[in-house]
Order: sequence, then structure tokens, then C-alpha cells
Amino acid sequence: MFAELINPYYLQVASFMLINIILGISVYITLSTGQLSLANAGFMGIGAYTSALLTIHFDLPIILGIICGALLAAICGILIGIPTLRLQGVYLAIVTLGFGEVIRVVFVNWESLTNGSVGISGIPHIGREMLKSFQGFGFNPSAIGLQNNQFIFLSIFLLLLAITVFIIWFFRRQHFSRVGRAFAAIKLDEKAAESMGINITYYKVLAFAQGALVAGFAGAMYAHILAYISPADFAYHRAVEILIFVVFGGSEVIWGPVFGAFFLTLMPEVLRFISEYRYMIYGLIIIIMMAVRPQGLIDINLLNWFKNKRETRRQKHGAGNQKDM
Amino acid sequence: MVLEIKKICKNFGGLSALTDVTFTINKGEIFGLIGPNGAGKTTMFNLITSMFIPSSGEIVFNKENINGLKSHVITEKGICRTFQNIRLFPQMTAAENVMVGEHCRSQAGVLRSVFRTKSQKKEEQKIKDTADELLEFVGLAKYSEVVSENLAYGQQRRLEIARALASRPEVLLLDEPAAGMNETETSDLFDLIKKIQAKGITVLLIEHDMPLVMKLCDRIAVLNFGKKIAEGTPEEIQNHPDVIEAYLGREEEDELYA
Repeated sequence: MFAELINPYYLQVASFMLINIILGISVYITLSTGQLSLANAGFMGIGAYTSALLTIHFDLPIILGIICGALLAAICGILIGIPTLRLQGVYLAIVTLGFGEVIRVVFVNWESLTNGSVGISGIPHIGREMLKSFQGFGFNPSAIGLQNNQFIFLSIFLLLLAITVFIIWFFRRQHFSRVGRAFAAIKLDEKAAESMGINITYYKVLAFAQGALVAGFAGAMYAHILAYISPADFAYHRAVEILIFVVFGGSEVIWGPVFGAFFLTLMPEVLRFISEYRYMIYGLIIIIMMAVRPQGLIDINLLNWFKNKRETRRQKHGAGNQKDM
Repeated sequence: MVLEIKKICKNFGGLSALTDVTFTINKGEIFGLIGPNGAGKTTMFNLITSMFIPSSGEIVFNKENINGLKSHVITEKGICRTFQNIRLFPQMTAAENVMVGEHCRSQAGVLRSVFRTKSQKKEEQKIKDTADELLEFVGLAKYSEVVSENLAYGQQRRLEIARALASRPEVLLLDEPAAGMNETETSDLFDLIKKIQAKGITVLLIEHDMPLVMKLCDRIAVLNFGKKIAEGTPEEIQNHPDVIEAYLGREEEDELYA
């Protein structure tokens, strides 16, 4: 009965939703120092290509490939973060957008390595590899009543879920700490932050590198889940798509991009007839959000409102209990 | 001598904002920097905190030349400032603002913050305690959880002072702290600055409120059109003919004494 509930297709959708959530968070991290990066699709591509090529040509284990991909993306993040330190707002957005485009063009033209616009296929599939190693330990999916196929998609989903939870946990803790305060101070007033003794160079580059690391990681996971990548996967429309998650969900709190990615990945799947008009709807969303709620759907006030509501309810309950006594 | 300004010049293109300004500030004193609007007072602050680099001259802090150091390094060394147009972090609470001020006196990096090691927890608790103490010190204890943009104007000024104090400065630069304050607030501010001095902190003050400056400062330097025209005790400054001319013209001397 358990087995019937597990539909590989739904799991696949859920997995891509988690990857989108991770991508949304990657933009949120950089944005939490006030820097808008549109290069995250490019970082994602770097992570994906690095990991794919390493695992194909050097037979590296997938885990190492993913780590290398994420690290290389982070290094590129530092390299792009340093020269753009003085740029803000639109200027930074354009430079990072340009960087993403350069990355894509490199993928298209470096044919000997990347296979050009045809893309790379036959990338080791993370689910199948996991199944293989489980079978190596003498475990068989049929033991818990699953087909191999179901097991593959379930394990990918659970792995991604664990990683997403870890990433959210990590950056929430960071947010409520000395580092998070430094990020917020830089976002709110860079000059004042520097005068208060915050090394803004360090923290801005750190935020860029963290964002790139997370995006590179998401890219590498993407490559090993789809088993096929091409430069078009990491082009301009991907950058915009990631941005939309953040614009729609909100960039003030981490739950903003999480909700944005969740909702906007789910919407075209649930309402199939919409999916063809997806980009049109994205455009509409940007316009409406900018006019009506520029901070995104989920902001601090909304969270506080929920919190207060819960607390008053609890207090009412408490009062009720006392009466009973 | 804690801070020495030696022959400082600052040019913006063809405009010279400061020419050959020299003065020294002794440890523990309240030093006033006054002058008409556009005299170069705030430029001087920006040079001391390295937001601008001087065109020539030296700024010496505790016998060390601090020209060209990064702003945040200067804060770390012990010089912190407030701003003429208040620059708090508007969406943070009062307590958070002060906690940001303590940044350079704490260490926890990303990993220690995320995994909340023992030392990080201790440090964080200390940061919170110090923030509470400082809010109490400037009289904002009950506003610690209020978002700073919702505070009254005078309170924001005090909060900015608390934030600067959080970096444990040796020299505190106050840029027109009494601007826009009413009389009671100004007199509270007087007490506050005296209390800061009592803590052993040297204060360098830009202010237009002359009665306050004259009551508060141990010594004063006067700038006009980027040049220092006088330096001395409040009495000396009040009787200095150039100062009177720069401020009021000769006929209206009486007002200055009022």
C-alpha cells in the first residue's frame, strides 16, 4: 500500500521544487547584504558542468564531484564578488547578469570539453548510484515493497529534503548571529556599517561566495538528477526564474524564497494549462509585486503577525485551563 | 595627546575644503569643533574616520599615523563616530543597533555562529548584556525592542551615541548631536556627554548650539572656510575677534555673550 503512494513523477516534481528552493535561498543569501546577483544561474552551471565532467572523465564519486562543483562555483563567486564590490543596485545586477551570460557562452563554445550546445549526457545518476551502493550492502528495495524506480526517486527526494532542511537551518542560525547582524547592517546602511567597525569587503564577498556555493551545489545536484545538461539550462531565463522566486516570496526572511520556489514550481504542475504561459505569468507577477508588495509575500511583519496570533491563542487556552482548575 | 591633526588639507577637485588645519586633542577632554556651515567640520570627521583620504597632512592617533587605513580598522583602533544626519539601521531594534556596534569587539565567525559553540554563546550573551547596559546608560532601556525608525528624533540621536559607544572607543566623534533637539533634550544631552567623559572617553564634538558648546567643551577650535581661525578655551574663543566676525559680524557681539 505504501508503494502505491509513491509516484516517481510526483517525487521528481518535488525534487525539482527542492532544487528551486535551494536556488532561491542562494539569491537570498547574497541579497541579505543588499547585493542583487543575477549570476546564480551561471554559478549553477559551473557547479553542474564541473561535477558532470569530473564524474564522467575522472570517475570521481558523485559526492566528490558535487563538492568540487560547489567549491569551484564559490571560487568564481569570490572572483566576481571582489571587482563588483563598489557596484550597487542596477549596476551590480547588470554585471552579474553579464557574467552569467559569459558562462553560458563559454559552455556553448568550448566544444572539446563541454560538447557545445548539444550538452552532456550520460552523467552518473545520483539515484541509481545510491541504489547500486545500497544493493552492494545487500539491501533490496523490494524488501520494503518498492520497485527500483520508486526507490531511486524516493531516495533523491529524501536526500534533497535533508539537504534543504540543513541549508535553511544553517542560514537561519547565521542570520541570528554576529555575522547575520553584519549582513543586515551592510544591507541597511553600508557607510554606517563600515563606521561601526564592520569589514564590509569581507562580508560582501563572503555573502557572494556563500550564494555561489549554494547555487553551484544546486546545479551539481541538478546535473546528477537529470543526467543530462546543456548550456540552455543555465541561461538568462533561469536567472530570471530564480529571481522571481525571491521577488514573489520575499527577500527579507529565508521563508520568502522557500515559499516562492515552492509555490511557483507547484503552480504550473497543478494547473497544467498554465504552464505554457509560465513566463508571461512571471512577468505579470513582477509587475504586480513591485506595485503592490515590493518586499514579497512573506516579510517580517507577516511572520510576527502569525507569531502573535499563535501566542494569543495559547494565552486564551492557558486562561481557559486556569478557569477549569 | 590622543589625537593629533597635522597640517591637514583636503581638496575636492578645485575646491579646497580644508587647508593646513592643525590641532591636538588631549586625553579625556571634550574638544569642540565649531564654525559656520560649510566650514569643513564634517569633512574633518570624514577624514579622521577615513571615509575620505586627506590630500596632504597627517592624522596621528596614539602616536600612530592612521592616514589611509580602512574605516573599520580605525573603529577597531578606537575612534568611532555618529552622523550629522542620523544613520541608524532603521529596521533593526534599538538593541540590535547597539549589538552591531559591538561587532569589532567580538569574534565569532560563520562556523562558530552556526554551530553555537560554547564560546560563541558566551560572547553573544555578553554582547546582549553590554547592549542593555549601554541602552540604560543613554536612557533608552525600555525601548530596547522598539524598531529604531519608530523612535523619536532625540531618542534616535541617543541611540546613535549608544551604538558608537558599543565599539568601546577611546575617542568619540559626535557630529551635531544636539541638532533639532529642544531645551530639555539638550540639557539631557549635556549630562550624557559629561557622563561619557567621566568614563574616560575623549570626545570630539561638532555643534552649532553655542551655549551648549561653551558650557561643555574644555577646548575649542574654530574653522572658517576650511581654515582654523582660532583655538583655545571657551572664554578665549568667545573673545576672539576673528571668531566673532566669522559668526556674527562686529556689531552683534552682544548676542554671543547672552
